[in-house]
Amino acid sequence: MRPIPAGLLALLLGAAAASGAPAANVTPGAGEGEWAMPARDYAGTRFSPLTQITAANATALRPVWTFSTGVLAGHEGQPLVVGDTMYVVTPWPNVLYAFDLSKDGYPLRWKYRPDVSANAIGVSCCDTVNRGAFYADGKVIYNLLDGHTVAVDAKSGRELWKTAIADVGSGETVTMAPLVVKDRVIVGASGGEFGIYGWTKGLDLNTGTVVWTGHNIGPDADMLAKPGQFKPPYDSGADLGVHSWPGETWRTGGAPVWGWVSYDPELDLVYYGTGNAGPYNAEQREGDNKWTASVLARRPADGALVWAYQFTPHDSWDYDATGAMVLADLAIGGKSVKALVHFDKNGFAYTLDRATGKLLVAEPFVKVNWAQKVDASSGRPVIVPDKQTGASKGNVKDICPCLEGGVSPASPPAYSPRTHLFYTSTNNLCMDYASARTSYLKGTPFMGINSPYSAGEGGYRGSFLAWDAATGRKVWENKEAFPNWSGALVTAGDVAFYGTLDGWFKAVDARTGKLLSKFKVGSGVVGNPMTYRGPDGKQYVAVYAGIGGDWLLLAGDVHAADPTDVRAPADYIKDLGARTSQGGIIWIFGL
Amino acid sequence: MKRTAVALRAAPLVALLGVMFGGCAPQGGTPQAAQAPSAPPAVAYAAHVAAGGNLPPGGTLRNPHAGDAAVAKNGALLFTAMNCDGCHGADAAGAVGPNLGDGRWRYGGEDPEVFMSIYYGRPKGMPAFGGALGADGVWTLVTYLRSLAPPPNLPTQAFPPLKLRPVGRG
Repeated sequence: MRPIPAGLLALLLGAAAASGAPAANVTPGAGEGEWAMPARDYAGTRFSPLTQITAANATALRPVWTFSTGVLAGHEGQPLVVGDTMYVVTPWPNVLYAFDLSKDGYPLRWKYRPDVSANAIGVSCCDTVNRGAFYADGKVIYNLLDGHTVAVDAKSGRELWKTAIADVGSGETVTMAPLVVKDRVIVGASGGEFGIYGWTKGLDLNTGTVVWTGHNIGPDADMLAKPGQFKPPYDSGADLGVHSWPGETWRTGGAPVWGWVSYDPELDLVYYGTGNAGPYNAEQREGDNKWTASVLARRPADGALVWAYQFTPHDSWDYDATGAMVLADLAIGGKSVKALVHFDKNGFAYTLDRATGKLLVAEPFVKVNWAQKVDASSGRPVIVPDKQTGASKGNVKDICPCLEGGVSPASPPAYSPRTHLFYTSTNNLCMDYASARTSYLKGTPFMGINSPYSAGEGGYRGSFLAWDAATGRKVWENKEAFPNWSGALVTAGDVAFYGTLDGWFKAVDARTGKLLSKFKVGSGVVGNPMTYRGPDGKQYVAVYAGIGGDWLLLAGDVHAADPTDVRAPADYIKDLGARTSQGGIIWIFGL
Repeated sequence: MKRTAVALRAAPLVALLGVMFGGCAPQGGTPQAAQAPSAPPAVAYAAHVAAGGNLPPGGTLRNPHAGDAAVAKNGALLFTAMNCDGCHGADAAGAVGPNLGDGRWRYGGEDPEVFMSIYYGRPKGMPAFGGALGADGVWTLVTYLRSLAPPPNLPTQAFPPLKLRPVGRG
């Protein structure tokens, strides 16, 4: 392992000293007014210690600046602010903007325009999104849709290195935000709809060289699962990633990595979730299909697998587990526990012991009817037989949640150490699920599914809620007309922020959910709000407006009332087209 | 992560594939010689060629199955068997890939133009299927797509050349 760069070390120590935060929440390279990585801290909390904006004054929030990115696609992810510069990555063609926050109107310092293959557009399953950059060691590091990772000099915008990590011809694209730990850049690929052989890679921060590749399925050797070191809490035996699949089906089994990565410096473990098993027709892959729809814990330096826990064995509902793994020390049963909290597409919110992967709490945060519960002793869901899907089952009706998930993994939660609550968007949607046999053709979709959605009970299609992960209990919930697809932000001013699919950006009281302010931002929000302190000493909140992601079908020029235009499976949400359209706008709000 | 509808025509498609590939697994595809006299040379499927990088040859192509309803029906099965619907949606109604039944064509909607799009691929991710399907297979798909009638209400966003005309369903 290389030594920590001196500058980074100084910043690490400085940040810890300045904020007095627990070690797991240390933000390298960032003071309390900065936001240098996707979730602001390694723990993935999306919590900011800034206090100028409070529940008392947030009603006065107003827009102070906007910028059109020039791209009409789903604007997921979030800006970064380091020093007096804001960095923004657009969807394909993945332009990187650097704005000078010290000057009136925030002019560009520079703009980096990589050459990204247009071929990747059609190989990305669900729009040409990008989930953001990571700032480390004077570099802005992010992924390109066509399967590259780049490092750009933060001062000059000059490309420092560019590494090919994924193969578009095999159905791999890259949409996730990297995580940098010491001198490793952790990256993964999308492609769960294309039968990829899912992996995670560790690159060298200084050169971009691929140091290790750990597959998420397949033989122990490919998974970097070493005897004596890999200890899954509920399984034993060698080559679980092979023996839980029939024949060679693991080779096209999916397990993409398109969400978020978090890191615990004390345990020296990175955590990330894997996506669905492929194909969607589960009868072509009998068995648990390890380690799809799972959380994996690895050593960042060499990629060694330490533990893994599978949320949805034999995924038969496209329940990706790529949502964020948020690290928090929680009081459970009178003890402080090093926990990992995860809101899964399958509708359960999980609290795990992040040292071992053992299950502590699993309770539904939305309506769940595919499983009765998660069994505490085996860690496995107790499946409702009627809801098991597969080609021989025909059209299995009314499964909740739908395959967009109880929450989209693209919409990460936030955690406040002040309220001890987690904040997350949700979808209140159910689905029918009809599978069919499908054939693997390299570089084409490997799916075999027809799955129309319907709104869940209660006359609403999404919400934003506060969750107590120590007990598995909902504390408050704001119902929304549409599925809610933004990430969450919470601050030490006890204000939580989120956006809606029909384009409202909202500030709410973190303790009660009471609406404090809202503003229509021009396009649906599928990005994640963030906050920072500007060079003028004031606190600002930034968010992207730009509907897309899984909603790209609805975000274009659709005729809201025309069934041939808003097609199944989107016909349950025809009214969305009357309220929003495509966009690509950066918004900054202040007092 | 994806909600694209895919038509359910599973049972016949296996049989259809069996005929087309002689029972071989279609993985990677077997390049076949062009079968119709009017067809250009095929490229290997694995090459994943997009038109932007490999311009098709000129000349006039003729759809040997134009207007044949039975072939169009086979084309619908092939549309699912080759995973076209994974991107272009059930009934070619569009998803990540464009709607192929709304009368709007980015690369031209005449039979030879649609043939070229499938045979050689197009630059925003459309793979080249000429090597896997051969010319006759591609013409079968063309015949199916051309049998789809545009819906009565079209989006205002248009891709030149916009060609709208009544299309018979055979």
